[in-house]
Amino acid sequence: MSGEEEENAAELKIGDEFLKAKCLMNCEVSLILEHKFEQLQQVSEDPMNQVSQVFEKSLQYVKRFSRYKNPDAVRQVREILSRHQLTEFELCVLGNLCPETAEEAVAMVPSLKTKGRAHSDEAIEKMLNDLSLVKRFE
Amino acid sequence: MQLHPRFFGQNLRENLVSKLIKDVEGTISGRHGFVLVVTGIESIGKGLIRDGTSFVTFPVKYRCVVFRPFKGEVLEAVVTTVMQHGFFAEAGPLQLFVSNHEMSDGMEYQAGEMPNYTSSDASVRIQKESEVLLKITTVSVVATEIVRTISITLFTMQLK
Repeated sequence: MSGEEEENAAELKIGDEFLKAKCLMNCEVSLILEHKFEQLQQVSEDPMNQVSQVFEKSLQYVKRFSRYKNPDAVRQVREILSRHQLTEFELCVLGNLCPETAEEAVAMVPSLKTKGRAHSDEAIEKMLNDLSLVKRFE
Repeated sequence: MQLHPRFFGQNLRENLVSKLIKDVEGTISGRHGFVLVVTGIESIGKGLIRDGTSFVTFPVKYRCVVFRPFKGEVLEAVVTTVMQHGFFAEAGPLQLFVSNHEMSDGMEYQAGEMPNYTSSDASVRIQKESEVLLKITTVSVVATEIVRTISITLFTMQLK
């Protein structure tokens, strides 16, 4: 969080560090945390005791709020969203929340309409349509 | 990373990595949010002996997954407690609070065994375990462990 500008995700003011970092969707984090949990299960009888409350709550959260469970579907979602000139942050919010209309998408990710990229409503609708197809065939 | 010499020897690297994981996973900072899991080690630099002690400090570069909430961000959460002045919700390790002032006008508090907020046309009800969509308005890091956020309700979804 930089001192000079006030932080605001709606305008993509999230600090250079985070703008450049790779952002993960809930479904991607779920795969990572579940993998770690399975590794723990192999060496301990009670893996839940080995992890922090932060880990436990996070795992529960990303599992509950993952729209896609299948790793191939998850890959497809990222691929589809990557074609549309989005930042990592925007890509993940859309992949997590799966808005159904362009209006919803812009309410959730206001920066879609700013930053000189001017995503048209049609372009957004097309992208959301492609996304919903992945869900249907998962 | 600091390590006591008793950890040196063949398993130095392993010991360093386990200590790193233990020290860092599950922690919280204002800058990076919650550290969920270490996913890889990029490099371990040369150790430097600390003056006056037998500890050696190693610079370690590592990759990890963090959860960092941003002001203005929209995310899903689960309602945990409903009270007269607002409700608490959780998004994983993140605690959120929505005050009744921040809710849309029609929402009214209903006391009882299952306290809730109901819209004037009764089409929306927010109660414990409801999944809600929130927009973060303020982020503050409170003293020890919890990052608390105040948010506005954007849309709400009924109990699934």
